[in-house]
Amino acid sequence: MQLHFTKDVLPDSVSTDFQNLNKFNEQQFHRLIEILFQFLLEPKETERFMQHLTEFAGEHGMSAGPLRNLMKSVLLVPQGALKKNLTAEQIKDDLLTLGLNEEKAAHFAQQWGEHYAALSRLAVGQTLMVNQLVDMEWKFGVTVGTSEVQKVGNVFLQLKLVVRKGNSTENVYMELTLPQFYNFLHEMERAKASMECFS
Amino acid sequence: MAAAVSGEDFTNLQLLLKAPSKDAVRDVCVQSHRAPSRRLAETTAAAFSIPAAQAAQLVQSLHILSHHVLFYNLSSPEQILALFPESFHSSLKNLITKILLENSPTWRTEAVSDQISLPQLKELDWRVDMVTGSDSVSRMSVPTCLVQLKMEDPCPSAGGESVSTVTVELSRESLDTILDGLGRIRDQLSVVAGK
Repeated sequence: MQLHFTKDVLPDSVSTDFQNLNKFNEQQFHRLIEILFQFLLEPKETERFMQHLTEFAGEHGMSAGPLRNLMKSVLLVPQGALKKNLTAEQIKDDLLTLGLNEEKAAHFAQQWGEHYAALSRLAVGQTLMVNQLVDMEWKFGVTVGTSEVQKVGNVFLQLKLVVRKGNSTENVYMELTLPQFYNFLHEMERAKASMECFS
Repeated sequence: MAAAVSGEDFTNLQLLLKAPSKDAVRDVCVQSHRAPSRRLAETTAAAFSIPAAQAAQLVQSLHILSHHVLFYNLSSPEQILALFPESFHSSLKNLITKILLENSPTWRTEAVSDQISLPQLKELDWRVDMVTGSDSVSRMSVPTCLVQLKMEDPCPSAGGESVSTVTVELSRESLDTILDGLGRIRDQLSVVAGK
């Protein structure tokens, strides 16, 4: 089987699952696809996804277990398609190859087209970032005096950077003099200009 | 710290009259400002041919005097001369005053840059990368920015490193937000500067 969304050999159960999908009527299929895309758009909501499937199974007099397994197979397609930046056309091709009927494949592909931009953004957003900067706080003030010099008057700026390290965050504190601050600002503007070259 | 300069300190300072040269006076003044160490006392004792105990007191008194001048920012000859008692050796008084005035600007700059603070930003480097693929999307074209900040802690805790480096990654949105924040800081700073 030549598929766009994956180069792997799929287990036979996947084909069977897609053929079983054909057994749902139009309304049921649309609802299942709705549940599917809702999950794809919020991939952290696994509990909710399972719950929706269980409710669906209850409403239509079927067992939840087999339905969940079926949907797991179905999920392979959009997940692979996202990785490979597939178009609606290509995804429809794959669904037909897998045994889904024309009408259902067309509906799925159409939903894919509609949600593609949001799903892409999500996938890009999930791309690994190392030490991602999550927040920045600052305060600035004037040093009025020290133990060594009674009267001083220099401006200082204190920054707190919150950096994500794995699952937790780390705070980095630093102090900048005025010239250092202006240099920092200047360098960040240059970095932004550089980034904008690429868009 | 700026202790008051006592009569006893001035008595100790008169030991400078035993110095072999004006340069020797200058040297001991400058070195005692940093730290009135035992080694300094020993070298001074040798150079001035005075007992080590007296040299130690001299160095300590010099330290107190120079830090007093620094703390109160005594910047005119009159202000410094006024500290000395009437009976103090006149030429020595003028020499010490001259040395203190010469070194004050440097000492002040050093004191201000040495003061306690959070780790100071010493160096900033950045690079912009184009992410062309990842495990979640095999083909993409998203710019990302890496910023490396080198910081130096002027007073590291015992056993701690004084220089630390942090590398952070910023998305385009983060960078925009940061620039927004920095812009606001700049605006606030110009308001303060304008006052």
